[in-house]
Amino acid sequence: MILAVSLVVAIVFGSGAFLVLQRDLLRVVVGIVLISNAATLFVIAAGHTRGAVPILTIPGEAGSQASDPLVQAMAITALVISSSVAALLLSLIYRIYTSHKTVDIAEISEAEAREAEALERGEDLEEEEEMEKRPR
Amino acid sequence: MTGPALLVLSTGLPWALAAALALFDGRRPWVGWLAAAGLGASFVSLVVLLFRVLYGEPAEVVAGGWPSGVGIVLRADVLGTVFAVVSVGVVLVSFVYEVLGGVRSRTFPALVLFMAAGLSGLFLTGDIFNFYVFFEVSMTAAYVLVGYREQDYQVRAAFIFAVVNLVGSVVFLIAVAALYHVTGTLEMQAVAERVSQVNPNSIIVIAAAIFAAFALKLGLFPFHFWLPAVYVGSYAPVAAILSGALANIGNYGLLRFGGGILPEELELGATAVLILGSASIIYGALQAISRKQLTEVLAYSAIGQVGYVLVAVGIGGPVGFSAAAIYAVVNSLNKTLLFLVVRLRGRLVGAAFAVGAFSLAGVPPAVGFVEDCRV
Repeated sequence: MILAVSLVVAIVFGSGAFLVLQRDLLRVVVGIVLISNAATLFVIAAGHTRGAVPILTIPGEAGSQASDPLVQAMAITALVISSSVAALLLSLIYRIYTSHKTVDIAEISEAEAREAEALERGEDLEEEEEMEKRPR
Repeated sequence: MTGPALLVLSTGLPWALAAALALFDGRRPWVGWLAAAGLGASFVSLVVLLFRVLYGEPAEVVAGGWPSGVGIVLRADVLGTVFAVVSVGVVLVSFVYEVLGGVRSRTFPALVLFMAAGLSGLFLTGDIFNFYVFFEVSMTAAYVLVGYREQDYQVRAAFIFAVVNLVGSVVFLIAVAALYHVTGTLEMQAVAERVSQVNPNSIIVIAAAIFAAFALKLGLFPFHFWLPAVYVGSYAPVAAILSGALANIGNYGLLRFGGGILPEELELGATAVLILGSASIIYGALQAISRKQLTEVLAYSAIGQVGYVLVAVGIGGPVGFSAAAIYAVVNSLNKTLLFLVVRLRGRLVGAAFAVGAFSLAGVPPAVGFVEDCRV
């Protein structure tokens, strides 16, 4: 069981890491979600014991049969955090998409480099004008 | 007021206020000043708490009235309280600066308050998972804040910042789960006691994961690639908050987890820590000298400053740790000052910049020199 869980965690984390390194920003977000889910699986695996549902009144012997409730609480906290952050990332991508009409990081960098160049040229023009205005 | 009440107030007040102010338009001055008042109250309670702790009255509170060992512990000790005071103070100053200039986004005050709540919570918690949660609260607020003003390059900086730091957070979460697995507890003191009985191999892997996570947050040399883009891209008060308050998380984390919980593993890895720290100092300094833009210089010098903290942590012992703590505090104050005055002009501002820069460089009359000596 330990081997199976660790294999699953490794595969999910690996595919997530692969996706994070892609150029498409949407894939990056999917990769982040996969990595977070790998961490959640790891959290559950860290307290992996089989037993009754961990509620306050456990039938029979107290404590001996219940599975660990703490990791479940931790897992659900981690899930909430990762899903909210995924939503935030998607909204950031949408904001990038509305201004560049693309979600490919290479194309965005090109567009930004062009903008920066245009800006520099504009500034240079202003400086030249100032130079011309100055009395000799 | 009693210690536990102060402890809860310093985190709870900004939190409640943030939730309330999120409903209002943050561009109105009264919202901004109300938020500043809340931050100020949190700051004052932290300062009072610090004096109490310094006079030997550490405060501790277990959330929800659970017996100790079951509930989540909030604990104020000297290290955590000092970092909390500095971070919340930095956030307060940067926020007042922005309110004076006029807030441009309706969510800005609420986000800053959330970040302050997360920061004071994480410095005052005694539970490693709770540390992770508060850490995410403040980081998530930071992701949004980097995109403040919504210029294209700022949104992109926010995206880079969020993705890189999320990977770091996940690595930290895995390390927390692993610590829980090997020790069976999440309470910092109990973890520190039980760690020595665990198989050293697994602890070394956990220690390496924790170190990588905090190094990524700090922008240490091999993990620095995201830092310049974000610091240069973000708006001046936000950059001040990032470098003055948020970077403290990494420093505090290294001190707390390296020095407090896993001291033996830190000793084992001291050589690696020293090498990375030195590499970071040299790299940061060289890059900083070769840059023309002021914010870029500051961003690269931040990488170098982190290196000093790391070297001090690597030296270890009471001297090394106290030097690292003081250095981190002084550095965060300097950085805040510098980032805030970068956009302004004038004689007074020039003087302020000179004070900050000299202190950073370690010129004799300034505080920074004392710290360089100790390091």
